[in-house]
Amino acid sequence: MSRGTLLPKSGHHDRRLEVSIAGIPLRNPTVLASGILGMSASSAGLAVALGAGAVTFKSCGLEPRKGHPCPAVVPFEHGLLNAVGLSNPGAEQMAREIADFRQRFQIPVFASIFGKTVAEFGQVAEIISKARPHLIEVNVSCPNVESELGTPFGLDGAVTAEITRVVKRASEGIPVAIKLSPQAHGIGRIARACQDAGADAITAINTVGPGMVIDPVLRRPILSNRVGGVSGGAVLPIAVRCVYEIASQVTIPIIGTGGVSRADHALQLILAGATGIGIGTGLHEAGDGVFTDVCQGLSDYLDRNGLDNLDKLRGAAHD
Amino acid sequence: MTDGIHSPFEGTPVAVVTSPVPVRIEDVIVHHEALKTFVLEAPFPVAPGQFIMLWLPGVDEKPFSPSLVTQRWRLRAGRIEVTARAVGPFTRALMACRPGQTVGIRGPFGQGFSLEPCSLLVGGGMGIAPLRYLADALDSNGLPFQAMLGARTAADLLFVDWFQRRSASFYTDDGSAGVSGPVTQSLDVELESGQFRAVCACGPEPMLLAVKKACETHSIPYQLAFERYMKCGIGLCGQCCMDGTGIRVCKEGPVLTARELAGVTELGLPHRDATGARGPSGHI
Ligand SMILES: Cc1cc2nc3c(=O)[nH]c(=O)nc-3n(C[C@H](O)[C@H](O)[C@H](O)COP(=O)(O)OP(=O)(O)OC[C@H]3O[C@@H](n4cnc5c(N)ncnc54)[C@H](O)[C@@H]3O)c2cc1C
Ligand SMILES: Cc1cc2nc3c(=O)[nH]c(=O)nc-3n(C[C@H](O)[C@H](O)[C@H](O)COP(=O)(O)O)c2cc1C
Repeated sequence: MSRGTLLPKSGHHDRRLEVSIAGIPLRNPTVLASGILGMSASSAGLAVALGAGAVTFKSCGLEPRKGHPCPAVVPFEHGLLNAVGLSNPGAEQMAREIADFRQRFQIPVFASIFGKTVAEFGQVAEIISKARPHLIEVNVSCPNVESELGTPFGLDGAVTAEITRVVKRASEGIPVAIKLSPQAHGIGRIARACQDAGADAITAINTVGPGMVIDPVLRRPILSNRVGGVSGGAVLPIAVRCVYEIASQVTIPIIGTGGVSRADHALQLILAGATGIGIGTGLHEAGDGVFTDVCQGLSDYLDRNGLDNLDKLRGAAHD
Repeated sequence: MTDGIHSPFEGTPVAVVTSPVPVRIEDVIVHHEALKTFVLEAPFPVAPGQFIMLWLPGVDEKPFSPSLVTQRWRLRAGRIEVTARAVGPFTRALMACRPGQTVGIRGPFGQGFSLEPCSLLVGGGMGIAPLRYLADALDSNGLPFQAMLGARTAADLLFVDWFQRRSASFYTDDGSAGVSGPVTQSLDVELESGQFRAVCACGPEPMLLAVKKACETHSIPYQLAFERYMKCGIGLCGQCCMDGTGIRVCKEGPVLTARELAGVTELGLPHRDATGARGPSGHI
């Protein structure tokens, strides 16, 4: 039996793909999405080796959480359902992992935080800031723990703006991105409220749904949590629409995330207005080569269209 | 294995079934109350050392490396045997399962053992289970091997009769069967003999590290089966990554060689738990 391919080393280098998000230079627009690989300095480092332009760590809260029992991640034909349940070792431990990452890797690192109350977002931001991540992403939208934590904060523009202000105050000048849920009504307006409250970037989207898959033989939902967020190919059109709406309301950069496993997917998000391209489920759908393949495809597109960077494409789908 | 299809997993890669498939428990073999083998229908092939995720609806889903797989799987007549020991909530619930019940399995996941001539198999405790499948596969490919198997007590020593019909020596911590003391005690002597060209090991991490060290001393290639806390099984969640290089035990492992272990810095440390934290409370 042949051994598995181990770590294709980051292959694609093209200076035309360099972008800047809130003043942070990225070697290419791809960003490892929160919740995929980023549990530790070393696991996030794997995404560096795979070619990501930046990495986002798993969302952390004040206390360690075990998350839901398994199955917690279930693939279906067009993506994944997940109800990991925000498992994380707590902000203090995550801060150590992020600091370790900063020492060992040259690629920008984004922390991701959540809280149970508005004030707690500030506390977690304060702890995580000590590790000096390049950016703090605020997860106001995870649908998995709704029952435990109440209605997601991110559905309410005023609350989201309040969280933005609290995190900005606590994060010692580190840029802050608010990660929005596609479930939010008027996602463009909410993004605008975040910008007005001081957000430096918007990440969109978190998972869609929740959804459910049922085993017809066992006649019960497969996820232990019964429902989970939908990601992957199925959500790409929703992500494209959300980014398009947000881009028409804000001037801050957008990390377009949701369903990207190929360059033409990334291109749609860029044409809708994204600067960064989040990739999570694509690692499962297209394999370990997803970051380099997306970048290669973007380079090819620039070649074919005689362009020397992504700027002219960004938001070009708007009238 | 004389069944029609020979080693379906060599050469062409087998498609991984990533969503649980319902299968019947055909039989339950009781070694003792807290140590049983569950014989399941096999909807897909699994190579020695690879693992499956076993789902007990309403309980949880956990990783297991089969102790035997019979390979008429294309006819859906194959069997996957899982030998498990009750150590916590999931495995206790598993002990209560009866023939006829339906459970879910997905897989096969990860990289297994490669079959080499003149292998020495070193197993400790539950680690004997996957080595039994490896031994069976070596046997049916006509590849000679010897096994050194250890456990705490005679009652925990798995598949003794089965291994006795091949070539094996036994060790127990309390001397209740075989030689008294750790399975690794005469490893240096065995490797010195020059009759082994490969070592495959599965068991507690201190045992694996002793095997690694002995193999390095005698310049013999080794394949070690590791355990880490797993959630997704498909290389996404990052839970089972090893510090140093970040290799995923569920994908690049669980069987790792010197090549994959190069740069890994966490061997022998307490494992990360379900939260991702590595603590003194962690299991090794
Ligand atoms: C690749 C692999 C193959 C395995 N093969 C076998 C086997 O053939 N037979 C067998 O009896 N056991 C096997 N195990 C261990 C088995 O998965 C655990 O015994 C089981 O998960 C314990 O669950 P529990 O709820 O009963 O106990 P808990 O009280 O939850 O845990 C007991 C210990 O089991 C380990 N464990 C718990 N959950 C997981 C998890 N999701 N992933 C990895 N480890 C976990 C932890 O180290 C923990 O300390 C294997 C583990 C791995 C990673
Ligand atoms: C297994 C898994 C875990 C996730 N965990 C988090 C998380 O902790 N925090 C968060 O903000 N988003 C989380 N997400 C959402 C992703 O970051 C991303 O927004 C979403 O999956 C859509 O992108 P994709 O289709 O590229 O995966 C998770 C997604 C998956 C599949």
